[in-house]
Amino acid sequence: MRKHIGQSIVGFIILFPLVFLLILSFGKQWFYPHILPNIWQTSQWESLFSPSFQLTKSLGLSLLLSISVGLVSTITAFYFSKKIAYSYSKTTWLSLAYVPYLLSPIIFAVLIHFYFLKIGLSGSLFGVIIAQFLICFPFGIIICSTFWTSQIQSLENLSSTLGGSTTQTLKRVLLPLAKSTLLLCFFQCFLISWFEYGLTHFIGAGKVKTLTVSVFAYVNEANPFLAALAGFLLILPSVLLLLVNKRLIFKTSKKLTDYE
Amino acid sequence: MFNIKQITPWKTALFILMLLPMLLGLGYGLLYSFGVIGLLNTGFTTEHWSDVLLNFSFWKSLLFSFSIGLISVGISLVMALWMVVNWHLDLRKGKLSTLIYLPLAFPATVVGFFIFQSFSKAGFWSRFLYQIGIISDIEDFPSVVNDAYGIGIILASSFIITPFLSLILKGIFENEHVTKFQHIAKNLGASQRQVLVKITLPILLQKAKTSLLLFLIFVIGSYEIPLLLGRQNPKMITVAIVDKAQRFNLNDIPQAYAMAILYVLFLLFLFFGFQRLAKLKTKAYA
Repeated sequence: MRKHIGQSIVGFIILFPLVFLLILSFGKQWFYPHILPNIWQTSQWESLFSPSFQLTKSLGLSLLLSISVGLVSTITAFYFSKKIAYSYSKTTWLSLAYVPYLLSPIIFAVLIHFYFLKIGLSGSLFGVIIAQFLICFPFGIIICSTFWTSQIQSLENLSSTLGGSTTQTLKRVLLPLAKSTLLLCFFQCFLISWFEYGLTHFIGAGKVKTLTVSVFAYVNEANPFLAALAGFLLILPSVLLLLVNKRLIFKTSKKLTDYE
Repeated sequence: MFNIKQITPWKTALFILMLLPMLLGLGYGLLYSFGVIGLLNTGFTTEHWSDVLLNFSFWKSLLFSFSIGLISVGISLVMALWMVVNWHLDLRKGKLSTLIYLPLAFPATVVGFFIFQSFSKAGFWSRFLYQIGIISDIEDFPSVVNDAYGIGIILASSFIITPFLSLILKGIFENEHVTKFQHIAKNLGASQRQVLVKITLPILLQKAKTSLLLFLIFVIGSYEIPLLLGRQNPKMITVAIVDKAQRFNLNDIPQAYAMAILYVLFLLFLFFGFQRLAKLKTKAYA
């Protein structure tokens, strides 16, 4: 009984924000002391289907940005993680990969902003992609480095011994085996980029209006209803990705257990 | 010894992608904070550094951020431990196993906004308490958001960290076969309390210590949550640095760089110092 009550409270704490944001996104007026908005509207949600609506543009921009950062980070991290895994200085490089994470993205943005200004990348989408890549790439290395085990190295050697070229080994042996790791790395980098506000706002100079930037803009405009809608849109893709991610992690761990 | 032959093209490329931007940033910040470069700077000076080092508000911000981090991680650790110890089977199968993943999909910006809208004086819980008659005025609701003790920041940070920590501890619980050790201890006559204090907690905490440190660093370096839920005094360190860097007064920029460099040094010291300490301890036990 106590366990059920406890789990119900945890369930409520987790689900309440989702329900609350959804309700607020349909509000138009919310005077104190009404618990729910006293005037409702659906026009905000309907506007999402209009390409000229600012939030629709932000949604498209955020997707473009996060997919680009996720893809570039995963490909480069996969390449470099192999080099690191097979090198003598593996531990040093992996420890150094934590440094950009330790720095906090916003402080990193403050420190490198000058160079972005000089190159003319400040305030541009390309500049934000590069800045986010610099944060995601080391994180990708940490994820991908778990793939390069001695077993993988043996399989790679076996493929070469049997006459497989480097491209064939990559295409037919490594990539199929690394599918789960690559997807996991892409999702994580996508989410880091998707959630990022401080660095995006600083390097983007407020011109690159992603969904997180929009939430802050609406909060500053004292428009909680549009902020709630933007917040809800931010959560939706990440919930879907996390559910896929969870299955992926589960599948990978099951495979490993079966193998053992 | 450093050997030039060991520098291969991939190492150079990795250095350029992973470390060079940060080193360039730190170098620029260092030169700017010492007055060597910069629009209004006239030459080498230690004035900006002494301004920061002797300024009480910088140390207050750093200490405030560190305390908020410790409290948030502490609360999350207690909740996560409680869930894993009592509900480890439910965390593996059933509704809770899916539900616990959901908060991982909440960006800090959204969590900050949610806490603001639900715990501010005009927020949801204030309205709810008013409707059920517990408070009779909006002012009766306690200040939880933009307050002096950072309660809102702690609430939001704990909300984000607890599920992550629960999943990490759940993983350790399964991988380290804690249940087996618990059974052995019980068969040897250990009480429920002894099993918890001498078997379960030491195994979980020993394996989770690096994750706990990373969560602490994450909270100290968070920006969105204190920006929405914090206040002008005391400020979290990240907000204090960005405020100085973005001010209209250009004379404040060298101080912002000095603060940023001190903050980076503090975190590097915390992370690598902790790792070194952990290594020394392991060696001592071996």
